[in-house]
Amino acid sequence: MRGGEVLRSALVGQWRCAAVGAVLATGHQAGEALVPVLIGVVIDEAITPGDGRALLVWIAVLAAAFAGLSYSYRFSFRLAERASEQAAHELRLRITRRTLDPRGGAEAGRLPGELVNIATGDAKRVGAVHVAVTAGIAALAGLVFGGVALLRVSVPLGLLVLLGVPPLLGLAHLLGKPLERRSAAEQERAAHASGVAADLIAGLRVLKGIRAERAAVDRYRRTSRESLAATVRAARAQAWHDGGMLTLTGVFIAVVALVGGRLAVSGDITVGQLVTAVGLAQFLLTPLSILSWANGELAQGRASAARIASVLGAPPAVERGDGVLPEPVRGAVRLRGVSCGDGVLRGLDLDVAPGEMVGVVTTDPRAATWLLRLLGRSADPDSGAVEVDGVPLATLDPAEVRRAVVVAEHDADLFEGSLLENVAAAAGDGGGVRGAMVAAAADEVAANLPQGAATLLAERGRSLSGGQRQRVALARALAADAPVLVLHDPTTAVDAVTEERIAQGLREVRRGRTTIVVATSPALLAAADRVVVLDGGAVVAEGSHADLIHEHPAYRAAVLY
Amino acid sequence: MTVTDERALAAPVEGERGEERELLPTASGKRTWAAVRELARPHRRTLMGGFAALVAATAVGLLTAPVLGHVIDLVAAGRPASALTAPAVWLVVIAVAQGAATAYGLGLVARAGEGMLAALRERFVERALRLPLERVERAGSGDLTSRVTNDVSVITSVVREAVPALARSLLTIGLTMVALAVLDWRFLLVALLAVPIQAHTVRWYARRAVPLYAAQRVAVGAQQQELLGSVGGAATVRALRLEDEHVGRVAARSRAAVDLMLRGARLSTRFYSRLNLAEFVGLSAVLVTGFLLVRGGSVSIGTASAAALYFHNLFTPINVALGLVDDAQSATAGLARLVGVADAAPAPSPVRDAPGQVGDGSVRVSGVGYSYRPGHPVLHDIDLHIADGEKVALVGASGAGKTTLARLIAGIHQPDRGHVAVGDGSGSRGDVALVTQEVHVFAGPLADDLRLARPDATDEELRDALARVGALEWALALPEGLDTVVGESGHRLTAAQAQQLALARLVLADPRVVVLDEATAEAGSAGARALEASAAAAVEGRTALVVAHRLTQAASADRIVVLDGGRIVEAGAHDELVRAGGRYARLWRAWSDGRDGGADG
Repeated sequence: MRGGEVLRSALVGQWRCAAVGAVLATGHQAGEALVPVLIGVVIDEAITPGDGRALLVWIAVLAAAFAGLSYSYRFSFRLAERASEQAAHELRLRITRRTLDPRGGAEAGRLPGELVNIATGDAKRVGAVHVAVTAGIAALAGLVFGGVALLRVSVPLGLLVLLGVPPLLGLAHLLGKPLERRSAAEQERAAHASGVAADLIAGLRVLKGIRAERAAVDRYRRTSRESLAATVRAARAQAWHDGGMLTLTGVFIAVVALVGGRLAVSGDITVGQLVTAVGLAQFLLTPLSILSWANGELAQGRASAARIASVLGAPPAVERGDGVLPEPVRGAVRLRGVSCGDGVLRGLDLDVAPGEMVGVVTTDPRAATWLLRLLGRSADPDSGAVEVDGVPLATLDPAEVRRAVVVAEHDADLFEGSLLENVAAAAGDGGGVRGAMVAAAADEVAANLPQGAATLLAERGRSLSGGQRQRVALARALAADAPVLVLHDPTTAVDAVTEERIAQGLREVRRGRTTIVVATSPALLAAADRVVVLDGGAVVAEGSHADLIHEHPAYRAAVLY
Repeated sequence: MTVTDERALAAPVEGERGEERELLPTASGKRTWAAVRELARPHRRTLMGGFAALVAATAVGLLTAPVLGHVIDLVAAGRPASALTAPAVWLVVIAVAQGAATAYGLGLVARAGEGMLAALRERFVERALRLPLERVERAGSGDLTSRVTNDVSVITSVVREAVPALARSLLTIGLTMVALAVLDWRFLLVALLAVPIQAHTVRWYARRAVPLYAAQRVAVGAQQQELLGSVGGAATVRALRLEDEHVGRVAARSRAAVDLMLRGARLSTRFYSRLNLAEFVGLSAVLVTGFLLVRGGSVSIGTASAAALYFHNLFTPINVALGLVDDAQSATAGLARLVGVADAAPAPSPVRDAPGQVGDGSVRVSGVGYSYRPGHPVLHDIDLHIADGEKVALVGASGAGKTTLARLIAGIHQPDRGHVAVGDGSGSRGDVALVTQEVHVFAGPLADDLRLARPDATDEELRDALARVGALEWALALPEGLDTVVGESGHRLTAAQAQQLALARLVLADPRVVVLDEATAEAGSAGARALEASAAAAVEGRTALVVAHRLTQAASADRIVVLDGGRIVEAGAHDELVRAGGRYARLWRAWSDGRDGGADG
């Protein structure tokens, strides 16, 4: 998928709002251009001849112009905003849907923060293209309207303004370009100071732990001074740019006044038309700067659309399948000659009987990761097959696989919501939630929270300690009550006393269903029916924890020291 | 407020942080302005110079309209075209002078403003780092973080963008009014007809905008959190087949945010529509006045034109100034929060900032009791003596009081009863370091991160510290070795590497007494082993209290203390405790024998 498609589909989706908005915005620009014209007309028609009736008539026209420009601004802006927000909203949902798609693959090579930025910042910028397009069309119309009005006043004066304004803005652009580049770099350095401050505050506990407060403050002061110098340089450059723009505009008005005045002296235009011309010359600067702004927004929107397209078009990690598992799922897991991950697993054979609880100890952490990916079908093996109840997982839809096999990763995330909502998230009818909480010792976690299990977990559980988080995540996996449950290091941050309790609870609550525990914790391995040791990508030993501890020195070394 | 009263408001229990919060203080309006004046004092001259330059620039700029009026008068009087050259030259001179004075003034204002901002940031960081940890935790760590990120960035953008724009707009408005009065005082009088409409509009707007924008920020924040949870936790969502539910949750949060944004758009368009009314009223009043005055012969057509042009030129600055009202309001609120923290911090205490060597490194805990909530003691009568250089492991279930005891010894909490003494009983806790499972990699070069612990450390010392905790190999393998930028936007370290870094900092800080609270817990089983070795190396030669999850870590300590329900129930060396056949022995047997400890214990 290309960025252009994303941009086009966003624009097409909201074209009605955007089109009506553009028409109204054009009305607004016309109204704004009309005001200086009408001021000139009042001077010519009412004030110069002293005509009271004309005054009333033209004031009424002015009122109508104001009403028109005010209402058209109001509704054009609202429509453009609506189109922009709506488009951003829809893109946000498409990105979310693609990321969460059971086939996976969208987050490959991206940090979570980056994906969130794409779903918020980039979606917003693509949406904002509606505002830019609406405003740009209106500015173009304003330009035409002002130009025509000027040409009607006087052809030479109109040509002077119309041909003079673009080079003027071009000059300003040239003047601003190097400043902009320099200032962007310096602004970045300036933003750095705020970033460092936030970073030090985020590490407050760590700093206090080693009494490094003073060193941190000294360092911050240096950073802050450096960025102060950079910002002041940038601000001064910006100030001279602003001043330069003012001068350019002023000189331009002077030229218009001189030429217009000479035309008026020679009787080609009236005094009122002179006033109008000066007013229009000033007015025309606005639509032109809107056009260049809209152009910049479009460029940003295109870049954002490309980033969104790369997420939406990311190749899936695994393909869909149309096989089905026989009901009910018994939970027999079999790996046949499985190789993957450039030799991380090499011809692995492993059988787990229905209802068995098997511990898996891997000497290579990558082997554990791959085993989990294969069992949950986040990836398919390079060769060999992974089967559940005799059905190769590669023939099943990933969602169908996960109906039978729940993989609980070591670093599983908790979600917004209460502790109980988190635990019950994947529980079908919610019957096993209580038992799962007790088995995972998450009931103790709840008991220590102010509102018990109903306590909201702030920052997705970051308000809990690592051990508490693990227990809640484990309870959630148990509550899902899957025919096959795969756990990875579920208790590394849990104290030994509680871990012992969890090991027993786990056995109890999983009785009769298949459980695979990938871990090195002696407490958990001791609770398993059988322990399998993987080394060099294949099984090198198996037996009970007690036997392996006594008979297998390598195993003893792996789990006990 | 007494100590216990304060605690009653928020009671964190062993690392749990609940819903009850006691936010950090916010300064009063009066105090906030006093702080601004204080910040401005060193920049008074620059500010006044900048202001004067901007006044001059605006005043010069206002000459444009009368000069244009003069051109019109010359034309109306039928003067020859050559008479127009002089005013045109004047217009050019005005433009140049106005541009130069504006640039000079804006530069000075920015210098003063940025200087004030920098001083504010520095003062805030300095004071925030001095806040007692207990106080920060009572408020929730998000409170301080949001002040240093959101509030600082709001104030920064207002100082950089809104303040100069506001200053120029207000000056233009003020001086244009003076100029109107100079043309004819009656022009000013009628122009003021717009003011009641504008005043009413601003009040009407501010009343609605402040709560609406606050709600917008909350909704956008909630959307961000939901996306971080759902998109960031995509693997978990898929594993548990929660895809539809989470798309629904994102949709709901996004919809809520969009609705509020659209309400904001409606509000602001109504605001500007009302200001259009004020523009019309003022402009037509000026035109009618011009008409009457020209007919009465008291002003020329040129003067009337100039008055109308003046008023037309006011549209933009008035809209800019009034549109900045809510920016200014949110910046003031942010400022009050920053000043509140700066005022809340205690004066620097010599103990905290200057860790001196306090005799030997022994620790004596005598008769210590502690409760977060009155009536709910977490620790009872703890007596514990740790000899200089001894390593003690704390073992116990969650909630047994391990972390609380560790924090009391580290000096984060003060005991309710009894006392904790370090060294020769001087009671100073300046030489105790605490490393917890909370890791933070400071953004910047790796060497700078390490030097936080010892600012004058040589490269050699840094390498030695890394080597000691087994981190030198990977550190040197980073793209630019110790100069590699790590942290937030730099090279990502694994949890285990980050924790090794924390231990290397500990080696550099070189304290006599070390408290490790689950410092090896978050790494997963593969990393935990390596980290335990790192931790053992880091505490070598120091007095150490280690809160241990893995029994293997406890087994290597000189002495093991088993806590249960806030009391010490067993203490002794590993072999002693195993022989004694108590609680610890049962746990150990379950590990090493593969049998359920309870069954034969």
